[in-house]
Amino acid sequence: MSIFSYNGAAIVAMAGKECVAIGSDLRFGVQLQTITCDTPKVFKVHDKLYLGLSGLQTDAQTLYQKLMFRHNMYKLREERDMKPSTFSNMLSNALYERRFGPYFAAPVVAGLEPDGTPFLSGMDTIGAVETAKDFMITGTSPDSLYGMCESMWRPDMEPDELFETVAQCLMSGSDRDALAGWGAVIHVITKDKVISRTLKTRMD
Amino acid sequence: MDVSRGASHAEAAPSTGTTIVACTYKGGVVLGADGRVSIGNYITNRASNKIAPLAEYIFLCRSGSAPDTQIISDNVRHYLDQISAESGEEPTVEMAANLVRLINYNNKDHLVGAMLVVGWDRHGGGQVYGAPIGGTLSKEKWAIDGSGSTYIWGYCDSEFKDDMTREEAEHWVMEAIALAMTRDASSGGVIRLVTLDGRGAHHTYISGDKVPQFVGDLPFPAGASPAPFGAPAAQQQQQQAAEAGMVIG
Repeated sequence: MSIFSYNGAAIVAMAGKECVAIGSDLRFGVQLQTITCDTPKVFKVHDKLYLGLSGLQTDAQTLYQKLMFRHNMYKLREERDMKPSTFSNMLSNALYERRFGPYFAAPVVAGLEPDGTPFLSGMDTIGAVETAKDFMITGTSPDSLYGMCESMWRPDMEPDELFETVAQCLMSGSDRDALAGWGAVIHVITKDKVISRTLKTRMD
Repeated sequence: MDVSRGASHAEAAPSTGTTIVACTYKGGVVLGADGRVSIGNYITNRASNKIAPLAEYIFLCRSGSAPDTQIISDNVRHYLDQISAESGEEPTVEMAANLVRLINYNNKDHLVGAMLVVGWDRHGGGQVYGAPIGGTLSKEKWAIDGSGSTYIWGYCDSEFKDDMTREEAEHWVMEAIALAMTRDASSGGVIRLVTLDGRGAHHTYISGDKVPQFVGDLPFPAGASPAPFGAPAAQQQQQQAAEAGMVIG
């Protein structure tokens, strides 16, 4: 049994026209037992930057707390929020610091740069970064999620259409995954607001 | 057992981590199963049929290793066919249950099959036999097995009544399976029921969207604006909550 499939997760992030959306499932389980269905795996860093973390949930939560500490210190010194690209770099560095005893978490960074351009990046457990202009996924069923995103993504989607696309990819992708699902939450980030919606999905 | 949780499709065996439920009622028996087959955490079949016919009015609910239980059901069906050809009579449920149990017991080092043998015959009416891994056989008023059964022992114990009507029994079986599907990751998909009342075998198929749901309207997740981790303020949470809506998936 892999340490990465101990808890289970499905995270999808996509870029649209001057907006990004990121969503995750809500299941929290221990191997095959489901404990709760109100545990999102995407966390807010600031108004224009969200972070999704799959993998071992204890490491995901700890990593998030450490990153918030680093971001808060940055805000105190710089008196501004961190750009998504900078945050992504910092996260990669934080993960590689633990190269030989890593955090078992795979992150996805989604946000809007100060000039409004969407930013998406994803990493493996030791911080190898890949940026993308279309979508980024992570979770216990990557093949299903990739398949859905690859076929449904189109460039320059407006926020509402982007929400629908992320929702369908996330739901169909996690319906074939025994360890992910039980509801979903999706955040759509535009330049003046964030709209968060909870989805009712199959609860099996 | 750990092999079946393997990461890659090539090395892992398919498993019907499952919920199977059967009970007697006044006049017959009801048996039911979920529909999920998985390899590791990938769901290979989301609407499989885990109820195998052994004879016209005898059925086998399968859980455990998918290939093992398929072979057992094929073999027992063949034996029962031969026996009834030689004796000229319909096979009894007790005979079918013993055949399943003997295969389980004599090959206990190699087979992983937890099954329920459920049927109706002229001599004993509706009967339910549990045939778990290892080769036990037990005749019961009701039986459950599979990985999802662990979550519903309490429900089954408290809700089962002697001499239920057909509708009550079907509802009991269906609700037990639906509850298990909610909690067990390796059970899900659809529910299949078979009712045997001496007049025939009545099959019911309950598709995924018609399965009863036991989690109410979801509140906005507590951790989404992560208050426990000490970051954003309550007012931002309220603003987000005001814009959030429930979307039916």
